Amino acid sequence: MLDLIEFGLFVTLLIVGFFAGTIVEKRHYASIRKREREYADVLAFAVRFPPDRVTPQRAFLVHGTVVISSDYFKTFVAGLRNLFGGRLRTYETLMERARREALLRLKHDARRQGAKLVICVRFETTTISTGWAASIEVFAFGTALIPERDTGLAFGARSALPA
Amino acid sequence: MKLENRAPAEGINASNENPLIELAWLLAGSLGVIVALVIVVSLAAQWIAPRIPYRYEAKLAATLPSFATAPDNEPGRRVQAELQALADRLAARLDMPDGMVVRIGYRDDRTVNAFATIGGQAVFFRGLLVKLDNENALAMVMAHELAHLKYRHASAALGRGVAVGVILSVVSAELGRNAAAGVLGQAGMATLLSFNRDQERAADEAALSALHAEYGHVGGAIDLFEVFARLPNEQRSPNVPAVEFLRTHPLTANRIAAIRHWAADNGAAIDGPRRPLPPGIAALRK
Repeated sequence: MLDLIEFGLFVTLLIVGFFAGTIVEKRHYASIRKREREYADVLAFAVRFPPDRVTPQRAFLVHGTVVISSDYFKTFVAGLRNLFGGRLRTYETLMERARREALLRLKHDARRQGAKLVICVRFETTTISTGWAASIEVFAFGTALIPERDTGLAFGARSALPA
Repeated sequence: MKLENRAPAEGINASNENPLIELAWLLAGSLGVIVALVIVVSLAAQWIAPRIPYRYEAKLAATLPSFATAPDNEPGRRVQAELQALADRLAARLDMPDGMVVRIGYRDDRTVNAFATIGGQAVFFRGLLVKLDNENALAMVMAHELAHLKYRHASAALGRGVAVGVILSVVSAELGRNAAAGVLGQAGMATLLSFNRDQERAADEAALSALHAEYGHVGGAIDLFEVFARLPNEQRSPNVPAVEFLRTHPLTANRIAAIRHWAADNGAAIDGPRRPLPPGIAALRK
């Protein structure tokens, strides 16, 4: 009887995890895509040096960080996947959302401080929970540049995203 | 250099595949592996355990508290002595393993059951004894428990339990405190329980030949299962460990049919004079 209750609880958690997780993920992706278009004018690159080394620049650190949790369903599927190996598909969407969100927050930070260009963008990640549900933190940071004599995008960088 | 930001790629880093399909495959695969592993290991343990010389089992049993005890009063000791005498008579007809000393315990408890366990021990509950009308029916239960001991089913169950326990604990350690471990554990236990029925049939058959040799007919067996058929359901599944008499048994009606079948095959009479219960056990019914 107790076993049956435990099993029922487990199945309920799995179903709740699946539906809640799917809704949360769909909404998050929609929000990410919308904001990526909104922040299309803030450019972020992994290059180490400014493309325009002639114009004097003001430079400062900008960052974006996000903490995101798995759901019961994702963790369960990943637990089974650990037995056989292979792509942890349920965590791939989790990580992708976290990275794109962190980058968006970095761009938000840059725009807030008047910069439209961020170079040397790097990502760091931390696992903050190893319990039954994995949670991760993704941290994006980079160097924002503002030309001293701001004439817009003086060095020819431009966005290919629809504004 | 012309620098530009483009829209992030979709569908490369994360797949759009329905996770339920992945879940279905993983569940089927892992349950299949666990069930196969449990079946193979329990069959192996069940095969090996009875082949380990009995003295090792006796040594193990000696480290545990004895099951062959009785209530510390005159009627209790008397019932135990009468059960022991019946056990000794039937054991002589069952060709017990070398060195096995059968010891019978008695519990003053309303549980309707009896069980056999390691170290040549069997335990009877008052709840069962008061349901029986004659010695022949009691002898069927006794011979059945002795047959479990003869075939070393208790040690097979112990070996199997330990082996399967090791597998499942390894699996659950792999998965951490994940809920998956719980589900896999359930599947493993269900596999384990379904095995005992073959042993019950083997024990029934050995018991029938002992009964036939002792009384010249197997009427006691039919009396016994007719008693069980009249029992309400809740009295049939007490929580007693080891090889239980009722819980994992084939259905009562099937067993009565099997007795008639066995009797026909072996030329045994299914009816004959019954012997009265020993006085101490008969006194329990009052």
